Amino acid sequence: MTSRREFLTGLIATGLVPQATWASAGSPAFLSAGKDAGGNFLLAGLTRSGEILFRHPLPARGHAAAAHPVRPEAVAFARRPGRFADVIDCRTGAAIARLHPPNGHHFYGHGTFSPDGSRLFTTENDYENARGVIGVWDAAKGYRRLTSFSSGGIGPHDMLLRRDVPGLVVANGGIETHPDSGRAKLNLPDMRPNLSYLSLGGTLQEQMELPQELHLNSIRHLAMRADGTVGFAMQWQGDVGELVPMVGLHRPGTPPRLMADDDPRVLKLRGYGGSIAFSPDGTQVGVTSPRGGVLQLMDTETGDLLQEHRMTDVCGLAPSANGFTASTGTGQVYEVAATGKRPLHRAGLAWDNHLIQIG
Amino acid sequence: MRTLALALTFAATPLAAAEPLDQIVDQQILPAFQELAADSAALAQAAQADCTSGSEPLRAAYGEAFDAWIAASHFRFGPTETDSRAFALAFWPDSRSKTPKALGTLIRNEDPGIADPAQFATYSIAARGFYALEYLLYDPQLSAAGSGAYRCALTRAISTDIAATAQAIQADWEQSYAAEMRSPGNRYRSEAEVTQELFKALSTGLQVLDDMRLGRPLGTFEKPRPARAEARRSGRSLHHVLVSLNTLEPLALALADGNADLQAKITAGFSKARKKAEKLGDPVFAGVADPASRFRIESLQQEIKDLRSLMNDDLAPALGVGAGFNSLDGD
Repeated sequence: MTSRREFLTGLIATGLVPQATWASAGSPAFLSAGKDAGGNFLLAGLTRSGEILFRHPLPARGHAAAAHPVRPEAVAFARRPGRFADVIDCRTGAAIARLHPPNGHHFYGHGTFSPDGSRLFTTENDYENARGVIGVWDAAKGYRRLTSFSSGGIGPHDMLLRRDVPGLVVANGGIETHPDSGRAKLNLPDMRPNLSYLSLGGTLQEQMELPQELHLNSIRHLAMRADGTVGFAMQWQGDVGELVPMVGLHRPGTPPRLMADDDPRVLKLRGYGGSIAFSPDGTQVGVTSPRGGVLQLMDTETGDLLQEHRMTDVCGLAPSANGFTASTGTGQVYEVAATGKRPLHRAGLAWDNHLIQIG
Repeated sequence: MRTLALALTFAATPLAAAEPLDQIVDQQILPAFQELAADSAALAQAAQADCTSGSEPLRAAYGEAFDAWIAASHFRFGPTETDSRAFALAFWPDSRSKTPKALGTLIRNEDPGIADPAQFATYSIAARGFYALEYLLYDPQLSAAGSGAYRCALTRAISTDIAATAQAIQADWEQSYAAEMRSPGNRYRSEAEVTQELFKALSTGLQVLDDMRLGRPLGTFEKPRPARAEARRSGRSLHHVLVSLNTLEPLALALADGNADLQAKITAGFSKARKKAEKLGDPVFAGVADPASRFRIESLQQEIKDLRSLMNDDLAPALGVGAGFNSLDGD
């Protein structure tokens, strides 16, 4: 006689049990870390209009998150130099796993799943060796640590899946830090940020560096267009008030293009690109700056700065049906379309740096 | 010009003190931009009368108008941002020396487009505004470059352009923006948003003092950068610090309205900074490279840092404005 366990195992093996999907978690549109009025840190799932579908407490401040491509599982990453990543079942709020990087590593706050959802990749600092590392975790079986490989530079921060070919693109910010000295930057005079293109197995395939005069422009956050074009937002480590580009586009195999270069309005970003996203049609790229309290939209074809939208403490940015969705440290979510910005829901908490689109 | 502008101000301002926010609009913002428009018009007139770089009346008018900009420049939102007007008035810092390069190119080519104000208004902001004019009036090379007639035309073009920009900012403030701040609803959705804007103006103004006006020439102990002092060619670096302190203090006090303890701390803090600045006796911060005098400039900078902390730690919570969950982050 077939036991219940065998019966279930058989069903799963033949794929007959309906697998849990994001629909069973209420089909959230976005993930975001946040801080509530009581000072507690959390990861939340948001609807398109910024209402909270679920929230999950975090032990300390989060940063970005990753959504599993199929299962309703979210990973909340600790803000650097944190050492936790919480995997959450978004239907029940149950904790599935808490990941800790190996000794001598900390997380940078970003990560992504492989296209089939079988592996999770995390950006990490191997700080005793001043080396950027991508950690690989078994998302099919309990989130066990599988392996790690070089990120292709120092200070890997944001990381996305490529769309043109299978692989990863990593923003190596170039800045060396060590937890013993907190968040202090240890190598500014000779920092060398880059974009590194890696196979899913960790082979370095291509690297993009900006001209030497921009070596203090830390490449930090990424957006991916459907055609495989990478948008990168930078953070300037040089003189305050110097007019340098904050956004660039790159297609592997071609030189990078700097957006709104020499337009003085870029100074309003105060040298700090917080988040970057493409519009759904790919014709615009947006960059937020919480320091400047502004979202700037640039034309991906001409590089011209098209529009500016002022929003207090804005940082999170993601594509939305009509353009962009932005989130702020005051809990406000906005839709920004060709017609202008429109406030959507306001939550009684502070949205942290990034708004992660699900799906 | 200053007297005239102030007289206009009093005529336009109701005596009855309204809410603190209205007071800031009526008694600080509008007068500041009236002064800027009036002094910039006087600058354009002075350049018409005598465009030579050594002209004392021209230099005096330039100083008045530049003062008026420094005193208004922290109100850096709305009308100053339309068409990048603030940048057209003041492109600084200029670490890649775009201003002298742009001016040198115009002079070398004797570009005739400068004669048409509408066309000149489309030229690179690096060739426009107060910092560009400073090169023509005070820089040994550019004040003698090319032909006298072309330099004269360029001096007039920049002065006229400054006046037009200042006039446009003032017109926007008076025709719509002041009303939009006084009665939130559309542009600002609440008084809290107006408060947030004004607090940001204050904190940004202090940040510019700390990081740019003092921080840029200070550089590091190993590598001081005296050549980066703001407007050093006209000897105005320290003067700008004082003008800024004098204009930021009333804004801080008005925002702290009803909180006598905090106002006393603000007065004391600005007073300490002002005294240190006045005693410095180093108009262009040349002393950053000398350890003994550098210490005194650092000490002035510390006073500004203390003022920044006071605003973030005491004033911001009192106003209910978030110091910025994300803007204070760096990730």
